[in-house]
Amino acid sequence: MRPIQQRGLALASLLFSLALAALTNQPIDQKVFGQLPGSAWVVAGFFAAVAALLLFTSFDRRSQKAWLRLDWFMPALRRRKTGEAVSHSLFGRIVRKLIPAGFQSNYSTKKRGPIRRLLRRFGLSWLASPVRRIVQAICLFTFLALFFYTCWPYDARPASQGSTSDRWVLVNMDEPSGEFRFERSSDTATRSVAFEIAIGQTVYLTDKISLDSGVQLDQIPIGSFQVSSNQSGQIAGTFVNALDPVLQDSIIHSESGGGSITIFQRDPTARPSHYADNLARKERIPAETFLIIDPLVSLSTAIASRSWVWSLACAAIILFVCVLIPRGFCGYLCPLGTTIDLFDWAIGRRTKRFRVPDDGWWVHIKYYLLAGTLVAAGCGVLVSGFISAVPVITRGMLFLFAPLQTGTLRGWHLIPSFHLGHVLSIALFLCVLGLGFLRPRFWCKYVCPSGAVFSLGNLFRVTERKVESSCINCNKCVEICPFDAIKPDFTTRTTDCTMCQSCGGVCPTHAIKFVERWNVVELKVEDEPPTQETSLGRRGFLSLAAGSTAAAVGGLTVAAATKSWGADLSNPNAIRPVRPPGSVPEKEFLEMCIRCGECFKACPNDVLQPEGFQQGLEGLWSPIVVADWAGCESSCNACGQVCPTGAIRALPIEEKRVARMGLAIVNEATCLPAAGREECDLCVQECNAAGYHAIEYTQVGVELNEAGQPIEGTGLAAPLVMADKCVGCGLCQTRCHAINVKEKKLIAESAIIVAAGQDREDRLLTGSYLELRQEEQAAASDNASTSDGGFFIPETPPSQPETTQEPDDDPFGVNDASPF
Amino acid sequence: MKTQLVEAQNNRSRQTDPRIARCFPVEAAKYFHASAIGSIVFLAFALCVGTAFCQDSIELMDGTKLTGQIIQIRKADKEVDFNASVNGQPTESTYRYEQIHAATYRGKRFVITAKDSSGSSPEKKSTTDGRNTRTKAEVNELIQTVGKTPPAWYESTPLSHPKTLDLDWPLKASGRWNESKNVGQYIWGRVNPNPSRWRSGLKLVHECTKLHQGNRTLLERDMEMLGKLYFTLLQDYERAAYWLERSQAGLNTEAGIYLASCYWRLGNRDMALSLMRGKSLHIDAIKLLGDMGELDGALIVARVYEKTSLANEAWLNTGDALRGAGRFDDAIRSYQKVITRNKARNEEYRKRYVGRARDAITAINLFDKADVSKVADGTYIDSSTGYNGVIQVRVVVNDSKIEDVKVVKHREKQFYAALTDTPQQIIDSQGVQEIDGTSGATITSQAIISAAAKALAQGAR
Repeated sequence: MRPIQQRGLALASLLFSLALAALTNQPIDQKVFGQLPGSAWVVAGFFAAVAALLLFTSFDRRSQKAWLRLDWFMPALRRRKTGEAVSHSLFGRIVRKLIPAGFQSNYSTKKRGPIRRLLRRFGLSWLASPVRRIVQAICLFTFLALFFYTCWPYDARPASQGSTSDRWVLVNMDEPSGEFRFERSSDTATRSVAFEIAIGQTVYLTDKISLDSGVQLDQIPIGSFQVSSNQSGQIAGTFVNALDPVLQDSIIHSESGGGSITIFQRDPTARPSHYADNLARKERIPAETFLIIDPLVSLSTAIASRSWVWSLACAAIILFVCVLIPRGFCGYLCPLGTTIDLFDWAIGRRTKRFRVPDDGWWVHIKYYLLAGTLVAAGCGVLVSGFISAVPVITRGMLFLFAPLQTGTLRGWHLIPSFHLGHVLSIALFLCVLGLGFLRPRFWCKYVCPSGAVFSLGNLFRVTERKVESSCINCNKCVEICPFDAIKPDFTTRTTDCTMCQSCGGVCPTHAIKFVERWNVVELKVEDEPPTQETSLGRRGFLSLAAGSTAAAVGGLTVAAATKSWGADLSNPNAIRPVRPPGSVPEKEFLEMCIRCGECFKACPNDVLQPEGFQQGLEGLWSPIVVADWAGCESSCNACGQVCPTGAIRALPIEEKRVARMGLAIVNEATCLPAAGREECDLCVQECNAAGYHAIEYTQVGVELNEAGQPIEGTGLAAPLVMADKCVGCGLCQTRCHAINVKEKKLIAESAIIVAAGQDREDRLLTGSYLELRQEEQAAASDNASTSDGGFFIPETPPSQPETTQEPDDDPFGVNDASPF
Repeated sequence: MKTQLVEAQNNRSRQTDPRIARCFPVEAAKYFHASAIGSIVFLAFALCVGTAFCQDSIELMDGTKLTGQIIQIRKADKEVDFNASVNGQPTESTYRYEQIHAATYRGKRFVITAKDSSGSSPEKKSTTDGRNTRTKAEVNELIQTVGKTPPAWYESTPLSHPKTLDLDWPLKASGRWNESKNVGQYIWGRVNPNPSRWRSGLKLVHECTKLHQGNRTLLERDMEMLGKLYFTLLQDYERAAYWLERSQAGLNTEAGIYLASCYWRLGNRDMALSLMRGKSLHIDAIKLLGDMGELDGALIVARVYEKTSLANEAWLNTGDALRGAGRFDDAIRSYQKVITRNKARNEEYRKRYVGRARDAITAINLFDKADVSKVADGTYIDSSTGYNGVIQVRVVVNDSKIEDVKVVKHREKQFYAALTDTPQQIIDSQGVQEIDGTSGATITSQAIISAAAKALAQGAR
């Protein structure tokens, strides 16, 4: 095998991947409405990576050739013969060129350089394979940054309302160019703050009639005006889009109103979107990155819901990566694995009392757990999120550390109360960490079902760890291996090896290499020294069969138990919790929600909180809207954006604002004005401030006088919910609960409560909520009362006799000579 | 305790403003909507239909020149329907002769209204105090020309009342209170309090006038309702006056006082005063006279009502009038009478009147009279209800200056920067008036302002 052959192969591989890439032009990130991402990209990327590896390997100067060489460990310091190169690989040679000689070790005296000494201080595994530790650190840091920074909504600030400038009048209008010229009326009594209007700026105009019409400021007609000149107190420019006809008419005649135009610096009708904008700004990479690359998350969701889950594409990518770097996810990327490493470093290694041998009934638990969860998923019950790696650490961070973040940065009163569900999740997380007492990374090696997916993926591995015949059976590699992936004969348990390459770094004879699977150059003879190892197949058909049966039965039992003690969707009286905006229909929601908890973290004010056992096991840890605690912000769409499985659809903010998650229902027996107790319009204020305008006033308890007329000052204005406008955000309930229940203790529970269920929510699997609303409006207007267009005027002055033909020179009839 | 202070603030505008809770005081609400678009059904004289290629133009009095097509000239109404293309969008508008300086029609130019050499348009002035700004003839002309036209929004506003409404609308509704059946109760309960229904509610009453054409009594009631709604909801005084005149409203009713108010606000106070002279006036006249600056007249009317069962209302109205005139101490004295009397026809009314009087006094003390220079040095703590509960604010006054404002206790959830911004604004402006809320946290800001105002009031000398 010559380097030239290798480069040729690399070129071929690259060309193949380019061809694949050219064949597809489907954008991969269209996750909103569930398009199939271009899976060809994945394959193309794989071959491009193979091409790059082949090319790098072709520059390797070792005598033992390999097609693919993935060595990035730091070889043990060994005295070199003169003339022998220290580094063989291209990467190593470049690094050695870049680093000053003073930092490098001396290969003739075996004296460690500063870099090696520093790494040794961190630990043996840092010295042996620094690349792996660095990647792990970066990944854990990224995970934490995504979780605690990107999903921290409270640095969002609403845009300032801007200034207004009133009393403008139209000077003239140039019709052909559509240019309008305005000036500020000379009337002195100006109440509003003027602001500098720059050329090129877009300002927003409205007229006094609209302002005085009593309609809320966010609903008046507005003209967007692009300013092209601003000279001597006059501004000129054009309207960006077509004007509302009534407003246009009023603007053209503004002169007669004595300065009736008001100019806004910011569009007063624009609804705030600061939470959505803030998340979009901070999401340089998706906040749910680590969740979507956990393959079990998307795989089991897809099986349970029998649908395409967009994150399957990411799972496919990571699985392809792990064909090149077997179980690389576990060794390098997984934040739970890194956390367990940290736990072992800080606590686990200090006590040996609970240590167990590396051999026992538990070593294959992960496969049975995986089989069990997939069987349950096949029955439509999604339990993989309970034990899948990234959801476990996400929930652990959420329930243990997010409250600390909220408490310290915002106030301890803002932490919602805990219930049994929280305790269970925290206990599970602590158990996972606690398994580290048994063996380092016991969870990852033997229990983690996500890891099992990669172990199975390892069957298709392209590269693997190989031991050459120079092995001196020193056992150093077995001691350092964190995954018990080295057999007693020092060869590899290929389904367990995560390619962390620590063994390569400690091998005194440089006998370990990471090369393509089919490489047989100078290999050590297997089973020498002899191992008592029995491979999975040989361990006994019986144990395999028993395990598989247990997995299947276990999965089915879990599924059956969950269903029978579950949401009971066919029962109309069963509890129907209010779900986040844009949630898919309840049945699919329960099948797709992985219970990772990411949405809770991203949700401002903790509107979304984990469900307990209200729906039995089936709803455990799924998000529910707790409107007594807080209401859903109209400027936020975070939950859908961070959902890794699409259980909450990633709606654009405009769609989310009209997605009905429930309906507010007034309890007329307790509502203060409805029950005749006292004035209160907190819910109405709240609804209007959020821009929904879904609660109107209605008068109750009005007294009538003798003539049957209502008496001024009697009765109370009670809230009346407009079902066609209410989206169930729960802001009304929050306010009523905070003030009337908690603060004033007037009622036992909020008098306006958001409820979900049939006809109170819209749960679409696909399609647009905006269109749904438009259809509903069209249907409603068909049904509405209409006017026949007349306008009654009493005592109309007798009209002049109708004349059929006027002389052409006097069509207006002003006088004999003029037509007017 | 509720958001008493916020309410007290609202009261300030509510008392000068007959609408529900708007923040644009009536003094600034004078406007004149000159044109009416849309088709008017009683067009009689379709004089000519210009050829499709004929470019007409009209020059308006304000100098604007529009080209397009004159669709109709209605000599009897002195109006021209004109189709112009503005901003690339064809719009049909109706112009009255007095708006048009000249028109070019079929290639010939006609001067319709000569431009006044002094350059002032007769409709331009809009001050409401002091002298007449329009002659009686001008006001009447305005009411006749503008008042009877449908408003600009009329055509584009859809009706939104429930279909169950009984549009026969008898004078006295039978049965129990039912806003879905009785028009009057629908207007009272659903239209008045909900600004989004004001226009469609007016349109509904216009619809009713069509149905009641043959019935004089019903029609008069409808027209009075139109006038009241145009006045109280939209401050459209031309139309309010037009319909109130036609409904023959007497001055012993609220509607009659509205009509007088319309005359005054349209620019002729003499018309208003002569309408009220020598008649027995409704109690609302106290308020109107106060607003007009006729405080003596207002007090005369108040004295009459003080001896009747309406004493409480009389004192409250007098207080409002005095407050409007800036005589805060007299106003407080008048409000105080309500509290001292502490009697009304029933318990509920008593509570309401006393509550209103208390709120008004608090509002005067906190906002109208608030002045740091009159606050003794010291540290004051008071609280107000914010979004999620009580907000406690500590104000330190030293050397007649607000030295420090600090939120010392709160349970807010969504406060953004309000907890620091608003106190800083209070310190910067050395007062609690005219402070903008922090975006997105209005309730929290308002609560901080109210609490600070109450704290300052503790030390008022």
